[in-house]
Amino acid sequence: MPIAFDKVSHIYSAGTPYEFKALDDVDLEFSEGKMTAVIGQTGSGKSTLVQHLNALLLPSSGTVRVMDREITAGTAPKGLKKLRGEVGLIFQFPEYQLFEETVLKDVSFGPKNFGVSEEEAQKRAKEALRLCGLDEQYDERSPLELSGGQKRRAAIAGILAMDPQVLVLDEPTAGLDPRGTEEMMKLFRTLNTKRGKTVIIVTHDMEQVFVYCDEVVVMADGKAAAHMSARDFFADSSICRSMNILPPAIIRTCDALREAGFDIPKEINTTSALAKCIARQVKRHG
Amino acid sequence: MGNFVLGKYIPLNSPVHRLDPRAKIIAMLAFLIAVFIPAGWIGYAVLFVIAAGTILLSRLSFGFIWKSMKPMIVMMIFLFLMNCLMIRTGEVLVTLGKFSVYTGAVAQTLYIVVRLLLMIMITTCLTATTKPLDMTLGIEDLLMPASKIGVPAHEIAMLISIALRFIPDLIEETMRIMKAQESRGVDMKEGRFSEKIAAILSLIVPLFVSAFQRADDLANAMEARGYAPGEKRTRYKVLHMRAADWLTVVGANAVLAGVIVLARILP
Ligand SMILES: Nc1ncnc2c1ncn2[C@@H]1O[C@H](COP(=O)(O)OP(=O)(O)OP(=O)(O)O)[C@@H](O)[C@H]1O
Ligand SMILES: [Mg+2]
Repeated sequence: MPIAFDKVSHIYSAGTPYEFKALDDVDLEFSEGKMTAVIGQTGSGKSTLVQHLNALLLPSSGTVRVMDREITAGTAPKGLKKLRGEVGLIFQFPEYQLFEETVLKDVSFGPKNFGVSEEEAQKRAKEALRLCGLDEQYDERSPLELSGGQKRRAAIAGILAMDPQVLVLDEPTAGLDPRGTEEMMKLFRTLNTKRGKTVIIVTHDMEQVFVYCDEVVVMADGKAAAHMSARDFFADSSICRSMNILPPAIIRTCDALREAGFDIPKEINTTSALAKCIARQVKRHG
Repeated sequence: MGNFVLGKYIPLNSPVHRLDPRAKIIAMLAFLIAVFIPAGWIGYAVLFVIAAGTILLSRLSFGFIWKSMKPMIVMMIFLFLMNCLMIRTGEVLVTLGKFSVYTGAVAQTLYIVVRLLLMIMITTCLTATTKPLDMTLGIEDLLMPASKIGVPAHEIAMLISIALRFIPDLIEETMRIMKAQESRGVDMKEGRFSEKIAAILSLIVPLFVSAFQRADDLANAMEARGYAPGEKRTRYKVLHMRAADWLTVVGANAVLAGVIVLARILP
């Protein structure tokens, strides 16, 4: 089941002096079972784009196809709840959505809304909390007493507990510490590879795109400026630079080394591989 | 919610926009009092002409006034129905089965509608042409004499300006939380009663938490920059009354006096 945008535009506050076209004729198809990064400058329409995936925003024109649903501009879609259970969307700074008395109750709120029994919901909630790195001692705490990073984890667990087939994440690691960031990114990657979930992630961090993602969608001024595999995207740093994006550190290092006369093959993509490669060449030259 | 226009500031450049906020507030108060003085249809006609003239002068469109009125229409229809049932004075206008509509009911409703319309026109002339911050400066100045008898004029003004400042933020926050909870399967529109309660809770609790959080942050930020209520301070923006402002104040009060006289000599 494809996830596709067909000539989709979205206009905020249409018909007022504050009218703003945030999506402009977007044609796009996300690959199933892949982990796709959506990148682009601030205000380029990334959040607007991903909110169409579970019909929180409806297109002003065009058609969005998600799972077996077709959402066309001008029609009032019914029964969106099922879709929202299948496409789990985690917002930018999701911690404000916590409201229950205990973390466990809050995380089981989602599954219960989709008709899962109380026990099953608790079971799933516990599993999701452990996955997100919050152990038993947090289950009965009030979400308001958690630290910022812990709140974030609880909020993400709240969506994971719904066990959606498609996971959409809007800058899930913004403001997390480096270790937390790595843990969460690894978790998303595992959900993608081990459980076959389609993951769509909005991020500003090129290192994350480089290390974890299969494909890249570049948004610019409300348009989908590019959609290609991450490998192709980073193979040539001129693509990044032409779009005003700073390539990951390893790519920049390779570029600099090539300029200094080293012979660095294209497929090098980890620091250790690069180190070995340089060591070999340095030895050879004495 | 985004289309709610009552009380919104419209940035334009007009003679009314340039008036001193204090003059505008006094004039508005005078006109509002005048609306409640029973000076018959002549009085209302005079007030209507003045209000409409001010709207033209401030380059606002009447469509804007209409939009401000819209939320009231349901209330007015309800009022009209109530009046039709309760008021039995004057002559019978039409008879529907057992019920008769009297001219008194229609006149009474019209009076209320006209008053409401005038009030909206007059207050809009002030709120649409005065920046919220200028407005609070004006209120503070006008309350100054009362601070001699212990009214905390500056604090009241600060309170109002903070409240005004946060209204759009809170609306945006509400939308944001609503979307986040809808992603978790909350159904704000359909659903059983118990589900509705859960839906409302899931909206209200985070909204309160974030409102308190914001209040706390703001208080800290203000304190960190040395704000202390009740301290003497100078102002960045100093208001000056010019000839046009004095004219507005005198003119508005003259109209009020005229309406009072009119009400006296009316039979
Ligand atoms: N509710 C709204 N009303 C009007 N305009 C909006 C609204 N939400 C977003 N916009 C505008 O639409 C454009 C795209 O916003 P969007 O949130 O999709 O950007 P983004 O790519 O996610 O940016 P960021 O990286 O900062 O999160 C922005 O210019 C923004 O000002
Ligand atoms: Mg965004």
